[in-house]
Amino acid sequence: MKQIIGWVRGPWAIAVYTYREGIRKRTLIGFLILSLLVIFGSSFISAFLDPTSRTDIELKLIKDICVATISIFGALITVFTSASVVPNEIENKVIYSILTKPIRRWQYLLGKFLGAQLIIIVNLALMGILFFAALYIRQGILPTLLLWALLLTYFEFLILSAFTFAISTAATSPVLPTIGGLFVYITGNLTEYLKDVQNRAGQTGKWLDDMLGRIAGILYDVLPNLQNFSLRNQIVNGMPNDPPTDVMIPNLMAYGLIWAVGGFLLAWLIFWRKEL
Amino acid sequence: MPAIRTFSLTKVYEGARAAQDVHALTDLNLEVRPGEIYGYLGPNGSGKTTTIKLILGLIFPTSGHVEVFGSRDIGSVEVKQRVGYLPEGAYYPDFLRGEEILRYYGRLYGLGGRELDRRVGAVMEQVGIAHARKRLLRSYSKGMRQRIGLAQALISDPDILILDEPTTGLDPIARKEIRDILAALRDAGKTLLVSSHELLEVELICDRVGILFEGVLQKQGTLAELLEARDLQVEVDGWKPELAEQLSGKGVVLDDAVGARAKLRMPPGSAVDAAVAVCRDLKLNIIGITPRRETLEELFVRVVKSARQQNPAVAAASGDGAK
Repeated sequence: MKQIIGWVRGPWAIAVYTYREGIRKRTLIGFLILSLLVIFGSSFISAFLDPTSRTDIELKLIKDICVATISIFGALITVFTSASVVPNEIENKVIYSILTKPIRRWQYLLGKFLGAQLIIIVNLALMGILFFAALYIRQGILPTLLLWALLLTYFEFLILSAFTFAISTAATSPVLPTIGGLFVYITGNLTEYLKDVQNRAGQTGKWLDDMLGRIAGILYDVLPNLQNFSLRNQIVNGMPNDPPTDVMIPNLMAYGLIWAVGGFLLAWLIFWRKEL
Repeated sequence: MPAIRTFSLTKVYEGARAAQDVHALTDLNLEVRPGEIYGYLGPNGSGKTTTIKLILGLIFPTSGHVEVFGSRDIGSVEVKQRVGYLPEGAYYPDFLRGEEILRYYGRLYGLGGRELDRRVGAVMEQVGIAHARKRLLRSYSKGMRQRIGLAQALISDPDILILDEPTTGLDPIARKEIRDILAALRDAGKTLLVSSHELLEVELICDRVGILFEGVLQKQGTLAELLEARDLQVEVDGWKPELAEQLSGKGVVLDDAVGARAKLRMPPGSAVDAAVAVCRDLKLNIIGITPRRETLEELFVRVVKSARQQNPAVAAASGDGAK
């Protein structure tokens, strides 16, 4: 037990430090402020609508904007955070004074990864609280469905974070992992289209068509399906206190965790013999 | 048992083709003894930082190995507990207070509670910034930041300290203060490996030095072993400017002259008797005779020049010259 506490103490110290440093980053603060403004501003959308078509449409529009905002800005915060926590420390040489302490490389990575998760969770919570309040004020019903949606959104971001983090351990600057993270996010949300492309391939008999189909097939098999985590349609169209339907939340959480552990292991494989 | 020892340590950074390989270190056999300050010298790009990174396990050797207190497992927690490191030009976060950053580093050593408080207080006192422990790092001067770097290296009270350019960019007072801290650490029984360009600093505090050039350790030993006795300096009275011509005929150099007093440098290898004879010939009164030893700077230049002559290809490639 004492040994486990010893193993965890170092990573936790690194995680807290990473969090404290991360929440001061101007880019992240900018994204957060912008997202909060959009969520807050969506409540005044009625001013731009035809007075005869208010109520239902207005509420749907607010929900749609807020869900999209949380999804897009949350993903940007996730990618930027996960892409920079390790490369920034390599750039400013802080990593030298940390890895020469009695910390193993996997403990360092674990600390940085946990720190990134703290930043992502806090940002997601802040956006969620504002959305929650906006819905509650509008409808007078506690929007419990939103809590489930936020939980699933976090697990989506966890996968995205783990992949971006793994790419970042191979890089010395945050640029490449940021591009990689955005690619994973976009393609991960288009996996159904990838399946379509794969299914339609080969119909023209042209080699390019065939090759595109194969690439789409590989991407479909390799990339996580992030669309599974979306409760968007239910939030926009359903009652705010409905239980989530058409999703197996424990399965999705397990799916997210497995991908995250895979991403972290990949990061460790890349990093454990990396020359610094 | 040496505190640090390298065995035929070689590091090659591989390029896309074999011709682009960079031989950063070749067959390095370095030995740092317990309780000494070892000055590790070399021009830019000579392989000093590569050596330090290999010792610390931040990079991995192409061949050879490193032992720290006899252990080859330099990445182990046990070895790391005994080593403190100050990187060159490291960044410390501005948003933290002096004591907060040290607490962070202390926790990485597994310190906590009162023990951590005690160590933070002790090292801040040791490096002379106890008065600034509550101040944000953004208000620290460059010298104070270097001290906080030194403090983080000392937080676990390590037996070995590895310092990469500890006085670079500091003003003379801050340099002197850092030098005094390093000397005090040596007196307290610590082993220090100091990589530096500042030859005067190294000469003032180091017990032994190693001179690295193009990845090859050219010389290693105590200053007494390495620095050659060069010549004699004679301080005389009764100096007249018209004697200058006679001096040059005898191979004597006039170092300095103020009024009737002058400092003369005898030809290399001159005996005291010969110096006395020269002064008598010129009817000068001897005030004092001082044997003059080669300086570390002169040794450094001599070693680098000799290495370049032995390997002109390397000299052409390096180009930047010795500092």
